[in-house]
Amino acid sequence: MNTRVTATPANDLSTAITSPAARNWRPRWLPVVGGAAVVTTALTVWLGLWVTPPDQVQGNLARLLYIHPAVATVALYWAGGVALVGSVLYLWPRTRSFFWDRLAASAVEVGAVFSALTLITGSLWGRPVWGVWWTWDARLTSTALLLILELGYLALRRVPADAHIRARRCAVAAILVAIDVPIVHFSVQWWNTLHQGGTILDPGLQVHVHGSMLWTMLLSFVAFSLIFVWLLAMRYRIEVLQDAVGDQELEVSLAERWSEDPELVGAGPSSSGPGSGPGGKGAP
Amino acid sequence: MSYVDAGYLVAIGGSFLYGLSLFLRRRRWERALTVMEATPDEGAPPAERS
Repeated sequence: MNTRVTATPANDLSTAITSPAARNWRPRWLPVVGGAAVVTTALTVWLGLWVTPPDQVQGNLARLLYIHPAVATVALYWAGGVALVGSVLYLWPRTRSFFWDRLAASAVEVGAVFSALTLITGSLWGRPVWGVWWTWDARLTSTALLLILELGYLALRRVPADAHIRARRCAVAAILVAIDVPIVHFSVQWWNTLHQGGTILDPGLQVHVHGSMLWTMLLSFVAFSLIFVWLLAMRYRIEVLQDAVGDQELEVSLAERWSEDPELVGAGPSSSGPGSGPGGKGAP
Repeated sequence: MSYVDAGYLVAIGGSFLYGLSLFLRRRRWERALTVMEATPDEGAPPAERS
């Protein structure tokens, strides 16, 4: 994969990213966010499954609504928003830096995972309530389209290219992904859909969830938002490391094997041959 | 297993598994970077050192 970033005058941050300080980026707040995510998620499960009362109409199935809208919020607004902002700031000449490109890429991958989780948890709610796992409803279809677009973005990112060209292509692709977000959001208003409207607020911004149900739902939004921040930071770190290693990935992998397994002595490229050991398993 | 339990399991379990995969991927890349930053002699195959 040709993703190694070289320092050029047009990109100041690429220099910083390959510096030791950038490579060792380990924010102190990350464990705090991770711990808070665990605590709030545990509280959400406890409140959602045991404390809140069953719904008057849906019974216990309403407990899924403490999870599904929060997961969808991460997929749509947090991931989509970060991807859009990162991509626009990369394309904007005055703010162009690989930081924004990597942030957008990280957000799209996390977003794809949460889009898939949104569709699965939605299906698990739809089957007993609507009687079907899936229907070509505007909200469901536009959400599935979002997942497909995100997977397309991730595929595009794996196409070998110069780092600047790849970043520009991906920024345009991320904007296309983000265009689908308002379509998903307004689909329940623009079309006559089976899917319900806003979960907490109706279009007139009137709250129609109350008491422990409301607090549990709000807590689940906090929990999944914290999970998103943690996952995004982890994914961003991987993106930095990938670019730091870059083209030397194959050489590094081989060097790792040679350094770990003394039995591979003699199986290296310079000594591979008829008498170079069993199968020459260390040879490229 | 009820639909409710399955929904919670998928959402929380899926997030956890993805987080675990990121943790393992990060560790692999950090190890790769450590090897890359080592001196060339350390990263070269033993047969090439002599």
